[in-house]
This record gives sequence, C-alpha cells and structure tokens, in this order.
Amino acid sequence: MTEALKITKTPDEAIRALLAFLLESGKASAVLSLDRIGQDGAPIYSLITEAKGLESAAPLLPMMPSNAGKLLAEMTELAPSPEPIAAVLKPCELRALVELKKLNQANLENLLLISTTCGGVFPLAIRNNGGISEKLAPYREALAKGEVADGIRPTCRACEHFVPYNADLTVALVGGQANDGTCTVLINSSRGAEALEGFEGERTQAKLESDAIEALRAKRAEEATKLFTASDTAAPGLDGLINIFGRCLACRGCSNVCPICYCELCYFDSVVEDPTPSKYEAQLRHRKATRVPPGTIAFHLGRMTHMVISCVGCGMCADVCPVGIPVATLFSMVGKSADKVFAYVPGKNLDEDLPLKKYEVDELSHLGEERIES
Amino acid sequence: MNGATVAAPEGVREAITDLLKRGLSEKLWDAALVPARVPAGDSFAWLLVRDGSVLDETLPLPPVMAVQGARAIYRLARRGVTGKVAAVLRPCEVRATIELAKLKQVDLDGLVLISVDCPGALPLKAYLDDPQKGDADFEKLCSGDDSAAREVCKVCHLFSRPVSDLHFATFGMDSGKSCVVAGSDQGRLLLEKLGMAKAGSLDKWERAVAERQEQKKQARTKAQATLSQDVAGADKLLETLSHCINCHVCRSVCPICYCRQCYFESQAILMPPENILERARRKGGMRLPTDTLLFHLGRMSHMSLSCVSCGACEDACPSAIPVAQLFSMVGDATQSQFDYEAGRSVTEPLPTVTYKEDELAGLVAPYTETYDAREASP
Repeated sequence: MTEALKITKTPDEAIRALLAFLLESGKASAVLSLDRIGQDGAPIYSLITEAKGLESAAPLLPMMPSNAGKLLAEMTELAPSPEPIAAVLKPCELRALVELKKLNQANLENLLLISTTCGGVFPLAIRNNGGISEKLAPYREALAKGEVADGIRPTCRACEHFVPYNADLTVALVGGQANDGTCTVLINSSRGAEALEGFEGERTQAKLESDAIEALRAKRAEEATKLFTASDTAAPGLDGLINIFGRCLACRGCSNVCPICYCELCYFDSVVEDPTPSKYEAQLRHRKATRVPPGTIAFHLGRMTHMVISCVGCGMCADVCPVGIPVATLFSMVGKSADKVFAYVPGKNLDEDLPLKKYEVDELSHLGEERIES
Repeated sequence: MNGATVAAPEGVREAITDLLKRGLSEKLWDAALVPARVPAGDSFAWLLVRDGSVLDETLPLPPVMAVQGARAIYRLARRGVTGKVAAVLRPCEVRATIELAKLKQVDLDGLVLISVDCPGALPLKAYLDDPQKGDADFEKLCSGDDSAAREVCKVCHLFSRPVSDLHFATFGMDSGKSCVVAGSDQGRLLLEKLGMAKAGSLDKWERAVAERQEQKKQARTKAQATLSQDVAGADKLLETLSHCINCHVCRSVCPICYCRQCYFESQAILMPPENILERARRKGGMRLPTDTLLFHLGRMSHMSLSCVSCGACEDACPSAIPVAQLFSMVGDATQSQFDYEAGRSVTEPLPTVTYKEDELAGLVAPYTETYDAREASP
C-alpha cells in the first residue's frame, strides 16, 4: 500500500485542477502538459505558467506529438531549471528523460514528475483517420478492464512498462477506478507529498497493482510476443533488412524525433560519411549498380548500436517515418534483447549506470568464445 | 524546333531505357542514375547503374517521387562524378539540380541531365498503402486525369522541358512515339553521336505543352488565391502550422535545403531554462517545441528563392501540413520580385548574389520615410 490522494473528479479534471493548484500556490512556476492548440485543437505540448492557460490543456490525452522526455531535456540541457516545473509525462517519456539524464543531456532538479499508468497513445496519423474524439470512450473502457485499446501505436500494444518508474506522483488510469468519476493519485516521493499538501482530496492508502493491471500486463506480454515474432521483422537477416529499409528516404526523421538520439549532428550526416566519387567507384568495381544515397542499412544499424541500449520503445520514430517503415518495432525488439544481455531496463533506475559505462571483467565472455569457435 | 522522333511502342519509359543502354554501350556515359522499384515493391530508389543489363529492372518516371532526384544528385555529385553519368529526372528535379549547381552543391561537369514531360506524381503515402492502385492511378495521370496527383503537381506549369541536355517529349505526340529534343550543346553533340540529330517537327508537342501550361497556370492562380485566404496573417499561419511537431523532415527531404546542419538545430537556438520560463510567462504559456513558426519562416527565407515546388516536403510531413503548397506559393511571390525563376537557367545568377542599387525600392521606401520624419522632428 502507498500513500495516495483520492479526488472526486474525473482523472482529466483532477489533474488539471492539480496543475492549476500548483501554479496558483506557487509550488510550480510552470507546468508541462499536453495541450490542444489552435482552432483545430492540435495536440502539442505546452509550457503553461498561468492557471487560465490550463483551460485548453489535456494532460492525459493519449497522444505523443513529441517525446516529452526529449522536451524536458532540451529545456534543462544547459542548466537545471531555476524554478520548480511540474510535468505530466507518459511512463516511456519519463524513462527517456532518465536515460537522457544518465547521458548528461538533462537536469532533473526542480522537476515534479507526474506520470500515469498508461494505456498507450494513438499514432499521429489519426489526424487523417477521423480524429481522436470518437476513439476516447472505447479507449477508456478498454483501460478500465485492463485490455489493450484498439488503434494505439504498435509498440504501445507491446509495451510492458506501462507502470511508471521514478514518478513523484502516479495517476491511476488502468483499472475500474479511472472510470468511476474519481481519480487516485499515488504519492511516491516526499516531493510528491509536498506538492499535494493543501490540495483538496481524501488522504488514503492505495495499491497500484490490481487485477486490471495484472490482466493488462499479461495481454501486453502476449502482444509483445506477437509483434516481435511477426514474420517480416523477427530475425530479418540481410535480405529482410533490405526489404524493410529499401524504401527509406534517408530523411532522418526517426533520429530527429528519437529522445535518445541527442547528437546535434549525426555521425552519418558528417563529413566522414560523405559519399565521394571514389567511394562510388569502389562500390561499382564489384557490383553492377549501387544505391544513391548510399548507406541506408548502415545508418539504421549504426543508429541502433548507438542508442538501442537506451531505447524506451516510445514509437516516435515509426510515427514520423514518411514511408511507414516499422522502425519502432525493430528497434524496441532489438533494444529488448540487448537490454536482456545486461539485465538493464532503460529509464528504470536512476542510480544504475548505463551498461556501456560499466566495466566488468567477466562480461559477455560466452559471446567471444562463440565467435572464436565459429 | 527540331528533335529526333523515336519509336516508343511500350511507352516513353522504354524509349528512355533504350537510350540509356545505347549510351552505356557506346561509351557516351559511364553510368546512369535512374529510379528502380525497391525489393518490397512499394516504392522507388535511385540506382547508379554501371551495367546495362540492370537497366531492365529500372523505371524512369516512377509514379512517386521518393527521394527528390536533385537530392540524389547532391549525394552523388557534390564533389563531381567519375567519368560521365546520365541522370533521368523529372523537370522539377532538373530545376532543383540547376539551383544546387548555382549554390555550388552540385558539380554539373560530367553530368548528362535527361528529362521527360511529367504528368505529375502520386502522394507517396497513397502509393505505399496500395502500390497496385497507385500504378493504375499513375496510368490515369498519364492520360490526363490528374485527380489522384499531389496537390502541387495538379497546379505545376513547369512540367516540360527544363534546361536539361536531352528531353523526351510526349505530350501531344502520336501514341507509340516520343521525341528526343536537345537542350544544350552537350545534348546536340550526343544526338549527333547517336545518329539521332534528325529534323522532325515538334509543332504538335509545342501546342500541347502550351495548352497544358495555360490550364495549369490558371489552376495555379486559383489554388493560390484560395490558399492565401487560408494562411494569410500570423494567426492563420500559426493555425496552418499548429500540428507541426518540429521533426524537420520537410527540410531534410528538401533538395534546396542542403545545409549539413540546419541553423534551427544548432547550439545557437538552445536556451537556458530561465529564458524559456520567461518567454512562457509573457503569454501565460508557450508551445513546446517552441519556435516552429520561426523555423518554417527561417527555412522559407533561406530557400524560397530556389524553391522548385517539387512537393517532397509535403509528401514527408507526418502531420499532414500543406507545407509544399505554402512554400510553393511564397516561392512564386519571392521569385517574381526578382524576375527570377528557380532552375530556369544555369547562367542566371541567384538573386541574393546580385547587387542592384535600385532594387526593391517599393519595399524599402516606407522605412526610409519614417526614419527621416523622426530625424526631422525635434
């Protein structure tokens, strides 16, 4: 059982009221929340400093226009925030923030991190497929029952980390209580407790784990198996990779929106990688034709080796891909198996070093042996 | 005007492929840059072909524009090419190549630019969803029904005869025929060597092109009038761009945006948190990522004079923003200020490298007046 606050409002209203309370009480100078901007209500994150600015906010909207972990890192890259900021993030966004902190790209001081048990998000393309409004009710129903909601990103269907790590406050969205007109907020830290002090609600003891969460965990694991054993992406081999990445435009959209790909200039766009006449000549010396621009698979495998240990499976990469390559499926699948090797869960534990930073004498010796034998 | 009529019973694509093969075997060029269907069959990629037998697997004038041809040439010929390379491009790809050459990002030496009358291209996403339907839709495009074309293609009036070395004329030609027209000394020399420098009348083609051009110009004016209603002024422009997630894919597929690192991705735009908070406080809230409007306007001011309206940006946008229509409209306006047309001529200098004393007098006058008035008042 954990300390919790039960609020007699729907989760969406309760969190907006909480954010307003934090701003008005001066406990937060600003809040980062999903917002609906413009006449079209475009789902975009906003940094809001006045309570009245929260009217259009939709902190719990199941959308991810940007990975909010990346946004917070960009805000705090140069220095920690001098004033308290409250942020409502999805569990994978929070995990990305933690990874970025470990990679020295973010400062967590003065951040109040509010997260939720997460039912997944809808792809950006939903804008062209009738919008989100009619999909919200069935989405919430599925969550209440601990089912996988229809229409969410493929990697969300397969996500087993839908209970947040490192959140100061956790809003319970999975399970029956999320649909009964009340909102339960679990208090995970003293910072979280201080934030809630003076906010209207019933102090109680609550347990995050429930039948619905257990059910969802089991279903997500099933979906993960399904997704990661799909014939076209599981162990594709070189021919499979050529098939998958053949239509890549080299637009770098995947790395641009990836929270972990923080490099200002990607190695694969650097002078070192510039194709020169002699490089093309070298290619054409032993083949009849070569692709322009070159290095498609090398880019994706290279990016993979650079970031996959920290991949949180947020699905941004696949969502922006102009040619529909299942980038996120592949990367989160590889990430999962790479993390297994190091018994590492990206974004779970702030005090745990990144596997690449840790030296262990006996590490991975079996891989070396295998190689020598073959 | 004269050109060599070539038989193209299976369509112009086959005629182009035949020419590429002849050029390779007769050592007129050492390689050909031409699109080919990707292994999965649902899109196209550029192949640099050395061996003529591979040309049977290529497809000039594909139904979609996956990687903009000028972008491929930028990656191929930024530092020149070995020997000679013949590239088969859409007219807007040739125009972008010319702009890149003027921007010193493509070395035209060693390139033979071959173009073809362009019926337009299909939206990339539509083609990926259903390549079979896409192929059928492209057939319709070729026979004059452009309802399935990309919006910028529907109103493109520069669909024919760019400043390429060789151009395949198809509009208005008898079916099963195409005509190769030389557009440069290099082109004329090549036709001579190929024994194709025959005189044939191009009247029918020229009439058809002129007629289509007139239609497209009218459609363009109409479309831009509607669009300007939707986007004019800061509020409407913000609304149009409200769904932008700052992924910068528009710039990375743009043939003109050649910068290795965009200013808007550089250290220069990083702000310390206190500045970000201060900016948010001024209006009670601020969208994040911020300055998406500044990015688009900045990119626009950097490349608008060279915009060829190719539509690659809009094809790639994950948020369905009509970014190509917007940039193309503004490009028309900025280019006409300087009597410039992107890609029209290799020798016509870029407006920004030309100094004219009397330029843009109408635009600067009000500022001077205000300034003078203030100076004069006590």
